[in-house]
Amino acid sequence: MTARPVPVPDETSAEYWAACAEHVLTLARCSNCGQFSHPPDIICPLCHSPDPAFSFETVDGGGKVRAWVTIHQSFLNGFDTPFMLVDVQLDDQPTVRMIGRLLDGPDAPVSMGAAVTLGFEDIAPGVSIPAFRLGGAA
Amino acid sequence: MSGLKALRNKVAIIGHAQSATIRRPTETLGVTAFRTAREAIADAGMTPQQIDGFIAATMLPSSGAHELEDGISLVSAEWMAAHLGADPHLVAGFQGFGQITGSLNIAINALASGAVDYVLLHRALYNPPGRYNNNPMTHVAGWQQWNAPQGFFGALPGIALAYNEYMQRYGCTRETTARIAVEARKHGSRNPLSYWYGKPLTIEDYLAEPVLVDPMSRLDCDIPVQGVAAFVLTTAERAKDHPHKPVYIAGYANSYGSDRRLHLNWTLDEMEREGQALAARLWEGTGYTARDVQLPQLYDGFSPFIYVWLEALGYLPRGEAHQFVAEGGIDSDKPGAIPVLTGGGALGCGRLHGLPQLLECYRQLAGRAGERQRDVSVALMTYSAPHIGGAVVYTNDPA
Repeated sequence: MTARPVPVPDETSAEYWAACAEHVLTLARCSNCGQFSHPPDIICPLCHSPDPAFSFETVDGGGKVRAWVTIHQSFLNGFDTPFMLVDVQLDDQPTVRMIGRLLDGPDAPVSMGAAVTLGFEDIAPGVSIPAFRLGGAA
Repeated sequence: MSGLKALRNKVAIIGHAQSATIRRPTETLGVTAFRTAREAIADAGMTPQQIDGFIAATMLPSSGAHELEDGISLVSAEWMAAHLGADPHLVAGFQGFGQITGSLNIAINALASGAVDYVLLHRALYNPPGRYNNNPMTHVAGWQQWNAPQGFFGALPGIALAYNEYMQRYGCTRETTARIAVEARKHGSRNPLSYWYGKPLTIEDYLAEPVLVDPMSRLDCDIPVQGVAAFVLTTAERAKDHPHKPVYIAGYANSYGSDRRLHLNWTLDEMEREGQALAARLWEGTGYTARDVQLPQLYDGFSPFIYVWLEALGYLPRGEAHQFVAEGGIDSDKPGAIPVLTGGGALGCGRLHGLPQLLECYRQLAGRAGERQRDVSVALMTYSAPHIGGAVVYTNDPA
């Protein structure tokens, strides 16, 4: 099977992907308003500062499931179907939502508000992608 | 007077034309668009040289890796003006998501300001060869690096997430949503210019279709097609001198996106919040309320949009549109139903990006709907999703 697409780090994302490779989730905090944005932007989406000087800070990455879907037909190469994606509201800052694969499989008993913890998928040498697992922090 | 109220009934549609809607092109898109534009101009009793404004939106809403070329896979206002041999004062295009409603806004403002006298507005939709959304990328840069590596890609998964949240939060089922697809196809099947002409759908057909992105199947998505429609607009004063009954534009409102999220992650929260704000602006600007609109043609490129638009515009309280649909509330064959898909919509006509809604508003208000003619004086169209799309209200009463 063809490989999954891998991210191409740039100046807005290099630190993020470097941390992911170590299985650490970081989020971009605006130096002006102090809030996380995901993904970051060239202008802070929350305080509209043109000089947000985002710094990536380590977060827990756990949260609550807001919605989920099961992909039966992928538009991208490299994904075995079916697989489940969950839309997670992060406990670190509830305005931040992340979408990741649910590592428990396509038939996992997911429900609204279910707690999830962060996991990672190693998809290529030095490339790891955030994902989620059902269950709260141990 | 300023703002939207200043534009009320200042501009009218005076002519239109629509091409056939086909799955695979038998003619280059630019040629179809050109023919359709000339037909619309003739419908208004005019020649191309009398048109001094050309307005269009050109988005090809695909996540596939398709080459784009003007005249081939899209048709810009510039292309149209040049090929018609016009000498325009204004050539413009809308860049946001609300393509047809956004380009209508430009036309309305250009005419109301006196900058131009006659506008040709067109929209040409292309169906690229091969799979519409498939993308063979091996590396992903830019905005999509944040979503594609985990398999969240293209519009459908994002819509399916918002739909799943709607289902879970309010108790909606796929059996109910089947009624949206069936209603759209019922009207599309009656329209010779629709892709689905002669092909109605049953609830059983809908439920038998395998899901692509659970909870959505192919039948919750409009089918990619090639098709064009064009319209001629002018000021209310000039409109009286043309052959067809003018259809006046009472007002419009738009949303321009909001929360910074992953690419194409449109949340139910945003659709509800921004949709409600859009509706408040629309009713204030037009002086109408939802109850005054006899023909609200709602956008249905993805079936759940019908629920969020019904609720955003105030036809139903938040979370209750699905119960209304389940009880036959949008089944236009039933007395008292709200006719939201009588033009066939996107699910019944094909991926024409709001054209079926606009065409139905125009034809019904101009008295040009033939056997399907309804007795209506105020109509509305919506396009796209409530947090990034738009709404336009029309009337055949210039008062």
